[in-house]
Amino acid sequence: MTREGRMLVGPAPHIHVRQSSASLAWGTALVLAPAFLWGLYCFGFDALIPVAVAIASAMVGEALVGLLLGNMTLHDGTAFLTGFLIGLSMPPGVPFYIPAIASLFAVCLVKGAFGGLGSNWMNPALAGLVFALLNWPTEMGTWTWPRHMAGVAGISGATPLGFVHSRILSGAQSGDALGLLGAAGYSVSGFDSGVTGFLNSGLFGRFGVSLPSGYIDLLVGNKAGSIGELSGILLLAGSIILISRRMIRWEIPASMLVVFGGLAWTFCGLPFGNGFFSGDLLFELFSGSLLLVAFFMATDPVTSPSTRGGMLLYGACIGALTFVLRQFGSGAEGVAFAVVIMNCFVPSISRVELRRGNHSQRSDRG
Amino acid sequence: MIHAKTFRHGGLRLAQDLPWTGGLPIDNAFLPVTALIPLKQHAGPAARCVVQKGDFVREGAMIGKSERGDSAHIHAPIPGIIRDIRRIRTASDGPVEAVEISLQGSFDRLGKRAERYIWSSMSRADMFQTLRDRGVVEMEEPGRPLGEMIASHERCSFLVLNCVESEPYIRTEGALMSARGKEILDGLAILQKLVSPEHTAAVFDVREESERASILGLLGASETSMEACFTEPRYPQDMPNQLFAVLGSGKAVISPANAFIVRPSTALAVYEALVFAKPVMERYVTVAGGAIKHPSVLKTRIGTSIGDLIEECGGFVDSPEKLVVGGPLRGQPVFSLDSPITKLTGGILALTREETNRSRTEACIRCGRCLEVCPERLAPCELFRFIEKRRYEEAMANGLANCTCCGACGYVCPSRIHLVEAFRFANKAMGAAK
Repeated sequence: MTREGRMLVGPAPHIHVRQSSASLAWGTALVLAPAFLWGLYCFGFDALIPVAVAIASAMVGEALVGLLLGNMTLHDGTAFLTGFLIGLSMPPGVPFYIPAIASLFAVCLVKGAFGGLGSNWMNPALAGLVFALLNWPTEMGTWTWPRHMAGVAGISGATPLGFVHSRILSGAQSGDALGLLGAAGYSVSGFDSGVTGFLNSGLFGRFGVSLPSGYIDLLVGNKAGSIGELSGILLLAGSIILISRRMIRWEIPASMLVVFGGLAWTFCGLPFGNGFFSGDLLFELFSGSLLLVAFFMATDPVTSPSTRGGMLLYGACIGALTFVLRQFGSGAEGVAFAVVIMNCFVPSISRVELRRGNHSQRSDRG
Repeated sequence: MIHAKTFRHGGLRLAQDLPWTGGLPIDNAFLPVTALIPLKQHAGPAARCVVQKGDFVREGAMIGKSERGDSAHIHAPIPGIIRDIRRIRTASDGPVEAVEISLQGSFDRLGKRAERYIWSSMSRADMFQTLRDRGVVEMEEPGRPLGEMIASHERCSFLVLNCVESEPYIRTEGALMSARGKEILDGLAILQKLVSPEHTAAVFDVREESERASILGLLGASETSMEACFTEPRYPQDMPNQLFAVLGSGKAVISPANAFIVRPSTALAVYEALVFAKPVMERYVTVAGGAIKHPSVLKTRIGTSIGDLIEECGGFVDSPEKLVVGGPLRGQPVFSLDSPITKLTGGILALTREETNRSRTEACIRCGRCLEVCPERLAPCELFRFIEKRRYEEAMANGLANCTCCGACGYVCPSRIHLVEAFRFANKAMGAAK
C-alpha cells in the first residue's frame, strides 16, 4: 500500500446524495426526450429546426453571459434545458428567428441580467415563450397537422383547445367540446376506436360506464399543437420518473392540476348549456400545454417556493389563474401567463412560509 | 415487537440504505512499532510535555501533564524510547506537539492479571481525582475532560447512556455494547454515583437485533435501575435534541442543562480508570468505507497510524477519494495515512467516488431540500444567504446558534454548497465578536 496517495480534503459532510444541480437539469432534459421524439415523428424538420435553434441560441446566450460575468456555467445544463423547453413550446414550422430570439431573451435578460442560475425570479423558459407570444401572435398561433394525420406535412389546422375556444367565443352552444372538434376536421383515428373499444369492453364496461371515442387521440397526441405538448401520455410517463426519482416535488403539479381540474369540471360545461359540474375534464387536461408546463416548467426550483405549504399554495394559484385565463382571456392558452404571474408572488410566499414554519424564529432556545 | 421511537422534524433516512452488519466482533489490532501521540487529544489547551528525547517510558506513564481543568493528561500507550518530539497536524487540530515512542521493553499491564479496586468504597473526591489522573475525557469531539463535565452537570436529573451510533458506517458503540456490555453498565453505575440522577436511561438503535436480548438481560441483571429505549434508524438520532425527543415523555423536562449523556466508550474508560486504575491508552475504532477490503471494528492503542489500521483491514480494494476521521457527515478529512489515532477517533473511513458523489459547487437553486431535512427546523439556504453577504447578525437572529453542524443539509444539497462550513465559520466569528 502506498502512503503517498493524493487524498481530497474538503469540509464535512463527506458523502452526498447522487443528484447534483447539473444532473437534475440534464436528467429533466432526458426525460423530455420521448415527447420530443413524438413531435419529430409528427412534424419532421418542422419540429427539429425550432428545437435545435432554441437550444443553440440558449447555449450561445449562456456562453456570452458567462464571458461577461467571468463564470462559465454551460456544464450545469440549465441553459440547454431552457432552450429545449422553449423549442418544445413552439408551434411546428415556426420561423427560426422566433425561438432564437426567445431563447436569447430568456437566458440573457431573464436569467443572466439577474446574476445567472439561482438569482432569476422569473422562469426563463416561460418568460421566453410569453415574449414570443406577445411579439409574434400570428406566427405563434399558426398550427399544422401531424404528417400521419394529414398525409403530407405542413397542412395548417387548429389545436383542439384553440378551436373550441374560438367557437365558444363566437357563440356556439351545442353538444360538447369533443363534438365541436369534428367541425375542425378532427376524425377519430383507427387506433383510438380500437383502444377505446378494448377499454370499454374489458374494463369500463364492468362498471357500467363507457369512454366516448376521441379521447385516446388527445391523450396519445394525434392532434395539432406545439412540438412538445402533443403526447399527454409520454409527458405523464415522464412525470412519474421525475417524481419517483425525486427530481421534482409532487406538490406543485398536484395542487395545480387538482385546482384547475376542479374548476374546469365545475364550470366548463356552462358554455354548452350543460349546467354546473359537467365540464369535460379529460379534454381540458389533455388538449393544451397544461401537462408540459405543470410537470416540467412550473416545478423549476429557482422560481418556485421551497416549502411544502408554499408549493401547494403556488400550484393552487397557478391552477386557478390558468382556468380564469383560459375561460375569459383572449387566447386559448393561459398556463404560461399564469406561471409567470405567480412567479412575482414567490418571494412573498417564501417569506410568509419561512416564518410560519418556525424555520427562523428559534433564537429563544439553546 | 419493540416500539421504536424517533424525533419529529427533518433528518435523513440514509441510515437505512447503508450496509448494517449486526454484532460485529471486535478484533485486537497489532501493537504499533512506533506510536505518535499528540499532546492535545481533548478540548482546551495542549498538555505540557514532561518527557525528553531519549527517555524510556513505561506503559501508561504520563508523558503530557494537564495544567488546567479544561484539558487532560496524556499517557504513553506503549513502553519504549522517546524517539522524537515534533509538531504534527491531526484531524481535529492544527500543528500540535506530538511524542513519538518506539516500542521497547515489556508491558506492565498487557497480558497480566490486573488488580481490581473497589470503587464503591471510594469517596467522590477520590473518584474525581482518579478520573483526572487517568486522563479520562468524553471519547468524542470535542473531548471535554470528564471530571469537569460532571462538575458542570451536578444536580442533573437524567443520565443517558447513548448507544445510538453517531453516524452511518460507524459501528463502534454497538460493537462495544455487545462485547463489553457488562463493564459498560458498571461504568454507568459509577457515573450514577458521581452524577446522582433521578432517572437513568439507555437508548439503542432498534437494529441491534442480535444484541437486543442480551442488552435487555444485562439491564435486568444490573443493579442500576434504568429504562431502555429503542430508536428508529434515522440520522442524527444520536444528537442531544433528537435524543430528548425520544426520552422526554411524561417526566421532568429534559434539556441540555438537565441531562448528562455518555457513550459506551466513555463509560468503559470510566470503568477501567476506576476499577483497574488504567489510563486511557486504547480506542475502539470502526474502519469502514467502500475502499476498505474488510471493514471491521478494531481495539487499538492510541498513537497507531491510520495507515496501519487500514492495512490490518486488508488495505484498499478501490482507490479512495477521501479519507475521513470520524463519520461521513461530521468527520474531519485527513491529510495523510500517518495521522495517529487519538482518544477521540471513533472511526476511519476511506470513501470512494461513488460514496462521496462529489460534484462542482453551484449556485443555490432554492430547491428547499435543506429545509426539509434540518432537524433543528432552521432554514440553511436562508442562513447561507445572510452569511454570504456577511450579515451575521441576521443569521444569528434566524437561529444560526442552534445549528448542531449535523451535516444533513450539506448531504442533500444538489448544488454542493459548503453550508456547514459557513455556519461553523459564522458562529465562530460571532463568538469572537462578543
